Amino acid sequence: MLNETALQEIQELKIRYPERESALLPALYIAQREFGWLSNEALLHVANVLNLPEAKVRGTASFYSMFKDKPAGRNIVQLCTNISCMIAGSDGLVNFLQTRYGMKPDETTPDGRFSLILMECIGACGTAPAMLVNTDFHENLTEQNIGEILETYK
Amino acid sequence: MSKNITLSIDGKEAKVPEGTNLIEAAASVGIHIPNLCYLKGMRGIGACRLCLIDVEGGKGPVVGCITKAKEGMVVNTSTEEIQEMRKFIIDLILSMHPLDCMTCTKAGVCNLQQYAYDFEVKESSLTRKKFGYPVDEANPFIKRDPDYCVLCARCVRVCKEQGTNVLDFMGRGVGAKVATAMDKPLQESECTFCGSCVDACPVNALLEADRWRKGREWEYETSKSVCLSCGNGCDISVSTSEGAVVKVKAGGEDGSVENYICAIGRFGFDAVGSDARVTSPLIRKNGKLEEASWDDALSLAAAKLKDSKNSGIISTAGILNQDAFVLAKLASDVIKTKNIDTTASLYADVDSMKLSDQIHLDALNTIVVAGLNPSQWDRVLPALDAGVRKSVARGAKLITINADDTRLGSAATVNIKGNEATSLSQLAKALIDAGAKADKKLIDAVSGETVSEDMAKAAELIIKAENTAILCSPSLFSAARNLSLAADIKVTAVPLEANAKGVMSLGLTAKGKTFSEMASGGVDVLYAIGELPISKKPKSGFIIAQTSYMTDLAKVADVILPAAAPVESAGSIISYLGKAKDLKSAMAPAGDSKQHKTIFMELSKAMNKPVKESAAEMKKAFQVSQKAKFTAFEKKQGLDANAAELVDTLNASVINHSRLLWLKEAQPA
Repeated sequence: MLNETALQEIQELKIRYPERESALLPALYIAQREFGWLSNEALLHVANVLNLPEAKVRGTASFYSMFKDKPAGRNIVQLCTNISCMIAGSDGLVNFLQTRYGMKPDETTPDGRFSLILMECIGACGTAPAMLVNTDFHENLTEQNIGEILETYK
Repeated sequence: MSKNITLSIDGKEAKVPEGTNLIEAAASVGIHIPNLCYLKGMRGIGACRLCLIDVEGGKGPVVGCITKAKEGMVVNTSTEEIQEMRKFIIDLILSMHPLDCMTCTKAGVCNLQQYAYDFEVKESSLTRKKFGYPVDEANPFIKRDPDYCVLCARCVRVCKEQGTNVLDFMGRGVGAKVATAMDKPLQESECTFCGSCVDACPVNALLEADRWRKGREWEYETSKSVCLSCGNGCDISVSTSEGAVVKVKAGGEDGSVENYICAIGRFGFDAVGSDARVTSPLIRKNGKLEEASWDDALSLAAAKLKDSKNSGIISTAGILNQDAFVLAKLASDVIKTKNIDTTASLYADVDSMKLSDQIHLDALNTIVVAGLNPSQWDRVLPALDAGVRKSVARGAKLITINADDTRLGSAATVNIKGNEATSLSQLAKALIDAGAKADKKLIDAVSGETVSEDMAKAAELIIKAENTAILCSPSLFSAARNLSLAADIKVTAVPLEANAKGVMSLGLTAKGKTFSEMASGGVDVLYAIGELPISKKPKSGFIIAQTSYMTDLAKVADVILPAAAPVESAGSIISYLGKAKDLKSAMAPAGDSKQHKTIFMELSKAMNKPVKESAAEMKKAFQVSQKAKFTAFEKKQGLDANAAELVDTLNASVINHSRLLWLKEAQPA
């Protein structure tokens, strides 16, 4: 169940928009922040709080890649592998992350420390390869500095 | 009304109202623009891209379902470039679609099959993809096979528009799938099994569960009829094959909000061919019902009716106008009894049925629903619930007035809870306060009322609207009609049976003993017509039951006259919205059964005073008009039959002898 503060936040969202449906994305963000991912229970809970059809809530959550449909690690590493990053060596970084940290795309490390997502372009082609860790942006990645950066996320 | 504009489509001149989309504009001059996702009456979503067309002076092709017709527009619907694009789209869709048309039930009515034929796409030039999603077929009503789905969203949109909201997309891109809330089977969702999605599906992704190997639609004979199961009297299209009903679908006008049927209308047809039907006249001999000839059964019934000084006739209000007309004559001229009444008297008075206005739901901008609790989920006036919700989705404003909470109330712009008659009188005051010119008596009567903020808002919605109607319970009809003295409002009372308006207008109303008095045994010889909601044996000396099914009452009757089922009958009804609807018989009556009116006429012959049908006389009975006059804002008493219970008992034979029984037995509580 969502805690009081989170519920209060969602209630406030309801009055912010003329249509209840508009509050759905921010409400899903709040639920994901609280639970780390969006379980069926979490989706039902959001549907009830917003009084929206369950099918709508589930449909919306499943459309966007930023909503997780399985438990995620404490830190979410999103590495771009689109063309510029690829040319600048992102594939090597993927291999490095797997050997060094046991990170596999779309999976979470057994210790729950990292989840790896290979994401589409984040608009950092000029400073490729680039990644997001949680909400922090990192660019000009090499095998050396990516290790140093990840050491700061426990 | 929006003004008409003129445009050119493939060189033809089309005149359409401003704002019409180009698919409709083209249809108006007989040009079909290919599409898989467009649904008449609903906003286009441009999903399938097949309706691409070329507008001269534009930057490139646009989608016809969303683009609106403009004055002077020059449209080309099938240039070489566009046909090439369409062909590629079909190619793409076919790469994910099973190519098993040879065994597919939908063959012949599948839109994709038709377009593949039209564009000569034999098989996809792209790599074949198969998702292998599980088929949802654990319920006896609807089979969902996502592997056939072309992701057009028609089902999602019809379900959403009517307010049931069971289906939505899950995921995105080619891997998207139409699913229920947690991808559970339909019976574990809030699905009402109305089957609107089945009617909307352009391919074989949604189908009636039992259609496999029951023939293709080109083999069927299809006729227009009306479902008589409840007060909504929905248009249906009945398909038969080898003398049995195999498919029923909504038969309303394409694109109309009234084009809806519920699970009873769509799947109750199993009962028509079930062993619950009475297919031969029966006479009770030594305590047991035995088969008899029509002559014997009719002469016995005739003799009993002739001899009795205290006979009475009760009927359902689900019989056709023609049946009701002959029955009224039989009662007055042959049997000569004043004891005649129908189930309609349990929930309606004559005035509310006779004087109701005719309403076209699609035309309404503001809808007031007063004292009614229609619900698709409880199957109480489900088509009214769906129709109103669809109207709201298309922009109409809804005002609900009810003493209790209603589910429809949550879809309303203004939901007024409280004493209904008082609320109506407050609404009249609000209209007057907002400047409506009202009848003097009405002004005086409501001068003391206070107007809440909600009431003022409701009045504003009515005054602003071009077309407003109040749909109310019969008990509130006279109170609601007062409002038509203040504003241009149509008022119609909604009955619980399909032809209550026809039956009451044709004079089948209590002049002597009432339905309830006779049903409990107030007459010596009881002539009971239809599947009456009577479970306790009436204390009458002799009971004649004229019925299509072996009802509880029929089981204790002395003579049973087998009647044709509605799909086997021809005639007309007056719908709850006041519209005359025709029924064509889809098939011959089962066994020796005959349509009600035929039995009445044969009975009159057996009583040596034959009566006949008269279309002209019948027409006269419907030509009533009476100007609204002010009456007190009161709710009529004694018309409070429990809607859900009554509809359930009237349809007990159909529900218990069709797959609808599954809803009662198998669905988790």
